[in-house]
Amino acid sequence: MSSVTVGHSLSTVSTTNRARKPDPASRGQWWRFGLILTITAIVLVPIASVVLLSLQPSLGSTTTADWTIENYATVFERTNVARWMANSLSVTLVTVLISVIVAAPAGYVLSRSRSKLVSGYSLVLFVVQSLPIVTAIIPLFILFAQLQLVDSLVGITIIYVGSTMSVAIWMMAAYYDSIPITLEEAAWMDGCSVFGSFTRVVLRNSLPGVLSTAIFSFLLAWNDYLVAVVFLRSNDNFTLQIGLQSFFQQNATNWGLVMTVAVLMMLPPVILFIFLNKHFSVGGIGGSLAGR
Amino acid sequence: MSTNTVASRMERARNGVGVSGGGSINPRKKKRISPRTWTLVAFAAPSLFLLVLLNLYPVIYAGIQSVRDGDLINPGNFVGLQNYTDVLTSRSFWNATRFTLIFTIVGVFGSWMVGLGLALLLRTKVPGGGFFKVLLLLPWVVPVVVSATSWNWLVATPQSPLPMLAQSLGMGNVLFLADPVLAQVTVCIFKVWVSFPFMMMMMSSALASVDINVYEAAKMDGATNWQAFTGITMPLISRSTYISWILMTIFCVNDFPTIFLLTGGGPVDATTSLVVLAYRTVFQNFQTGPGVAIAFIMTLVLVIVSVVLYRQIRKVNVE
Repeated sequence: MSSVTVGHSLSTVSTTNRARKPDPASRGQWWRFGLILTITAIVLVPIASVVLLSLQPSLGSTTTADWTIENYATVFERTNVARWMANSLSVTLVTVLISVIVAAPAGYVLSRSRSKLVSGYSLVLFVVQSLPIVTAIIPLFILFAQLQLVDSLVGITIIYVGSTMSVAIWMMAAYYDSIPITLEEAAWMDGCSVFGSFTRVVLRNSLPGVLSTAIFSFLLAWNDYLVAVVFLRSNDNFTLQIGLQSFFQQNATNWGLVMTVAVLMMLPPVILFIFLNKHFSVGGIGGSLAGR
Repeated sequence: MSTNTVASRMERARNGVGVSGGGSINPRKKKRISPRTWTLVAFAAPSLFLLVLLNLYPVIYAGIQSVRDGDLINPGNFVGLQNYTDVLTSRSFWNATRFTLIFTIVGVFGSWMVGLGLALLLRTKVPGGGFFKVLLLLPWVVPVVVSATSWNWLVATPQSPLPMLAQSLGMGNVLFLADPVLAQVTVCIFKVWVSFPFMMMMMSSALASVDINVYEAAKMDGATNWQAFTGITMPLISRSTYISWILMTIFCVNDFPTIFLLTGGGPVDATTSLVVLAYRTVFQNFQTGPGVAIAFIMTLVLVIVSVVLYRQIRKVNVE
């Protein structure tokens, strides 16, 4: 169970280790710095090119400047990008909200209860996680066609919630494992019900776990392509994924504009991650998976 | 309290079959079920409902559809194992299986090696280590649609930056996405680029649990760095390594956008994996039966493999 808390203590460990004093090992330190700098630079080439291309005049532009933000004005004028962005944002935020609300209590069961049934539940989660989405999509497409949920943002939101479920539950369970049960026992002594202790004691102390789950769901819903490409048909219902893809197919040579849409698309997850990455830990998944 | 119990009772009745599968909550066996149990059942019920509706039901439906000759609108007639024999005797299925294996093996071990290497580097004192750590996670955070677009720009045509670079280095005309073998290599490298940050995170948290003092002791005893790595680090992170391999295997086999957005499965089906093949069979050729059969064979293999691996993880954990 020890590995469960590891992810969360990681940031503190690395900050305490990094005492900035020139010690005998500092030459090796600079050698490693150079190595990491080189690797990072190479790794970031594709991402940096997206940003740089979006800032250069695109095909058919009249500016003579080397750098311009004109592309951004152009894509908002010429495409439905504002609409796509609003679609992506609403689908993603609703997915995050629902998956946290459903996964938070379910994770509690996985963390606190030990029985054959819960082991079975855990196995089901693991198997579900391994199912190819493409298998589920065909039957869901047929079902959703009858329910008028094809080409609808509600339809894809439902599928996103389903596909975040098992990992979201593991992540919540992993976090609860790090909360000592004695806190709840004290609450029960005072006559608190399990539901009461869950909301008042456990959930109140689980903000990092909730954040982690929320970030995971956000990334999954925001970054999905397969579900959106199968289910969404009309331009007004496109998410940014499909919008970018269709725009790319129509304007394949106009890289400046294509990359501008790409920047708009990667901005939300990147900003979210830069600010919240301290709270995000995947190490917990492993611990929670193996701990039961 | 009582309303709570009634509510959870109803929840359970609604999902009764799913919940009582194992049969250890048996109302007749135990005299009374504690309120705690009811609360826990109510906690798990919504997630079970979603899992049944969005995961279990589709798989069962797909299983039924795979023995019929219907399409996306008509259920069609029962045709026995016809779809399966068609699929299993087709060349494209085995080609796709082969590429799926290559893609998965390279994806899992490639991203693991890069991820572990970087995690080891970042564990030591490096100026700006935290900053690099965030930057290195970006390939995993950026949507695949965006990175595939960017990789397309970098490699797709002879006028793209990388082929131009190759030409100026005297390597001739390198067609990254037009040559079958080179396209496979490019897709695999793209997958490693997308996935190594996940491995880096998994390995970083595993390494953080290893006590630094152990290495001091090993150094005193004259162990080399390599010996310390194989003798101390590897055994201590073996469980996390194993889990990360399993998760990444599942991610790779099920991966669709990484392949589809970069090459569309081409050239001449060289980079068509099983998922891409299933997608194309159903949504481009409109052959639901064979497409579902492909997906179902994959599902069956993955379920068996994942149950076996799940048992294995738990065994490793006990040791």
